[in-house]
Amino acid sequence: MTDSRVTGSARYAQDAEQPGMLHARIVRSPFPHARVGSIDPTAVPAGCVVLLPDDIRGLGRYGVQVRDQTVLALDRARYAGDPVAAVAAATPRESEEAAALVLVDYEELPAVVDVLDAVRPDAPLVHAAHEVSSSQAAYFGLRPENGTNICHRFRIRHGDVEAGFAAADVIVEETFTTAGAQHAAMEPHACIARWQDGTLEVHTGSQTPFNLREELAGIFALEPDQVRVVCPPMGGSFGAKTFLRTEAIAAALSRKAGRPVKLVLPRDEEWQTLNRHPAVLAVKLGASADGTLLAKQVTCYADTGAYADCGPGVAQKMGFAAPGPYQIPNVSVDACCVYTNTPPNGAFRGYGQMQSAWASERAMDLLADRLGLDPLELRLKNVLREGDRYCTGETMHDIHFAECLEAAAAAIGWRHGRTGKGLSVVLKGMQTPSRAAVEIEAEPDGTYVLRCATTEMGQGAIRAISLLAAELLGVESERVRFPSPDTTLVPYDTRTTSSRSTYMMSRALEAAVRDLGASGGRRGHGEIVDEGGLDPDTGQGVASSHWHQGAAAAEVRVDEDTGKIEVVRLHAAIYAGRVVNRPGAELQNEGSMIMGLGTALFEQVVLADGQVANANLSDYAIPSAADLPQRLTHQLLERQGAEPHGLGETALPPVPPAIGNAVASLDLHVTDLPLTPEVVLGAVDRALGVRT
Amino acid sequence: MVAGGTFVGIMVNQRLLAPSAFLSLRDVPGLDYLEANGELRLGAMTTHRSVELSPLVRGGWPALAQTFGVVASPRVRNQATVGGVLADADHASDPPAMLLALGARAVARSVRGEREVPIEDLIVSFYTTSLARDELLVEVRVPGRPHRAVYRKFRSRSHEDRPCVGVAACRREGELRVVVGAVAERPQWFPELCDPEGDPDAIGRAYAEAIDPISDVSGSSAYRRRVIAVEVRRALEELG
Repeated sequence: MTDSRVTGSARYAQDAEQPGMLHARIVRSPFPHARVGSIDPTAVPAGCVVLLPDDIRGLGRYGVQVRDQTVLALDRARYAGDPVAAVAAATPRESEEAAALVLVDYEELPAVVDVLDAVRPDAPLVHAAHEVSSSQAAYFGLRPENGTNICHRFRIRHGDVEAGFAAADVIVEETFTTAGAQHAAMEPHACIARWQDGTLEVHTGSQTPFNLREELAGIFALEPDQVRVVCPPMGGSFGAKTFLRTEAIAAALSRKAGRPVKLVLPRDEEWQTLNRHPAVLAVKLGASADGTLLAKQVTCYADTGAYADCGPGVAQKMGFAAPGPYQIPNVSVDACCVYTNTPPNGAFRGYGQMQSAWASERAMDLLADRLGLDPLELRLKNVLREGDRYCTGETMHDIHFAECLEAAAAAIGWRHGRTGKGLSVVLKGMQTPSRAAVEIEAEPDGTYVLRCATTEMGQGAIRAISLLAAELLGVESERVRFPSPDTTLVPYDTRTTSSRSTYMMSRALEAAVRDLGASGGRRGHGEIVDEGGLDPDTGQGVASSHWHQGAAAAEVRVDEDTGKIEVVRLHAAIYAGRVVNRPGAELQNEGSMIMGLGTALFEQVVLADGQVANANLSDYAIPSAADLPQRLTHQLLERQGAEPHGLGETALPPVPPAIGNAVASLDLHVTDLPLTPEVVLGAVDRALGVRT
Repeated sequence: MVAGGTFVGIMVNQRLLAPSAFLSLRDVPGLDYLEANGELRLGAMTTHRSVELSPLVRGGWPALAQTFGVVASPRVRNQATVGGVLADADHASDPPAMLLALGARAVARSVRGEREVPIEDLIVSFYTTSLARDELLVEVRVPGRPHRAVYRKFRSRSHEDRPCVGVAACRREGELRVVVGAVAERPQWFPELCDPEGDPDAIGRAYAEAIDPISDVSGSSAYRRRVIAVEVRRALEELG
């Protein structure tokens, strides 16, 4: 099979063209917080179309979890990069030049750019009040705190932590931080919007066609079926292309211009559009002298930037993953989603999981060190096993944490010496509740067409789902076609996120193939619904209908004169249930590990005066092939008869703590990501201070 | 003026440059060559990759080939040129420090004629050279007398990154030159600290003290100072 991505014939949103289309450029606030005064577009050449705040004042607000956004900033810009106007012109060059001619009066306001500053009582407020969205994506019972910068607070209350700590022989306490990161997909955000007979059509690289349709319908006061969203394959996304990003500006410009409008972000504006949540996590962990975990308390602050986006969901997942894959009788978690005057942060390959894993798994090694126990033995003693109940009250099924840990440890020769080596194990939830549906149409020529909202972003969804369909239909996979999702043609699906598509669609396909047989062989419809969800005040309920499980092991050397880490060996062991497409699954593992390596060692969004200071791929480093460890290996653990498990993200979160724990095994205490040479040299200095 | 375009491309993408027109040197004949007749002569349009892989350079000036070979990635090295890396005077490039340590001279040509400019006089500050507006850098000449040289590139982030600290060291006929790149507005060379008999550790510490390093995303000033001491020492130990 010839892959269109290899031959160059693949058409991405960035390649889309429509007759008479204009090209858009966004005018952005240079200040992290400012009152937007008059905007003067008179210098913009005739023939250009300028979108101004007054044009969008009557449109609806949006935001999938908190309704905190307008198509352009109205009166107040809340981050350096907040769109305040937009221009459409005949060519990208003309729109760039015209955008520079729009004069905006700003009055700077006090800004808050640090998450801990933002939760102080006297902090400037990014938003005065928080209106919870009615969107399907705000399903989990948001708990905004009006009059503060906290737009959601999630809690787990399980057992009695005070009693647990009172009974503990050893307690460790530490605060950990993680940095913001940029997805750096090869293709930037790109979309094209047009209006026809009062209906809106948007072609866009998006993981969330139905959420986007709902948002656009809300903004423009349309019925959902008056909005058509078509999602060509994406040149990478990693969470960046979720929910509404640039589509509303293109649509509003298009309506004003009366012509199709295309909007492709320049690379630097990617950093002003969506990054990963920086986080601060304070952990207190208590155990008896034999290593039995007795109590854990975690407070998480997830910095969501100036607009919530899916940040409340990220904070909640960070919170419910924070206890880690362990049996702990007493757990208390408080996870806050906090506004700051920085670019929005959102989905990033495993909502909040990496941040939690970093804190949770570093804390486990601190505890092992204090108890004088082998970190592997401490984990195996406490790790969740089949049939155990998690701190949310749910019973865990198809559980393989111990197996993953053992496999990872064995890969680096853990039992032959632990110096320079580190381990970690993570549990990762999947979007719950969640719905998936698929339709199969039999064509007269003997081929089958899948109508399915799962989007392709390079993760191999088309291949995996086509293979599953072919197997169930008993035909060659070449006879299965899977066109790009189009909301007018495909049944509703929650979204292509959280490594859910292969798992959910495998079950929907089974139902669709059954229906195909039962209904005469022309058309089959299959739909499945996973119920669940957590009480936001107690964290009790069903966090995930299905758990992603993984472990990582690292071996490092540290240059104690410069603080530079060399990762010699990196291994990840991921529970896959049943592998559907082995080459694709292996590439997902490798890609996740390499992204985890960048997060561990050097990736970070740097702010200066509230502006992103490294918004280009020269000043923002991502791993290259030459950065890979001498040995990078991984494995997919399978079980006879198991259903497919999602695995597009699982191997990322365990990598930073495995590397951090390996560094810590050299007596270098590290708490902050990324582990740049400068950070590690600080740990060397502290260790030498202790040693002398 | 565009040679390989790798520097100008970044500047344009970052909107630090917005020229209305570019003048490309790509099709100008006679600027892409490597030749040695006692000294090494590199045409300004010779790519990094050509220098890196040239048997001529590898044989006579191995440290120079190695230095051009650690710049960014092969994709960049196939495009970036010898003339460009000097004329853009980017403080965070690898080759200028090595060329200075080797005693290289740039040849500047204009309608008024040609002149030779030692590298230490060519790069004067961030992105600033002593070239006149009507001068084109056409060639780089590297002395051929027997020498030993090393280049150490210290990266604080990705392998494809620019150096956090780059150290070039060269011994020739009893002379020692140590040049530190990527830490200040121009390559840092302190002849008075380059005692050929000096102790590597002492010279490293002296360089760290003499330089006032910049702070950027690759490392703070204080951190760079420490790395300078370490990497200068290591370069001299490697040099022997």
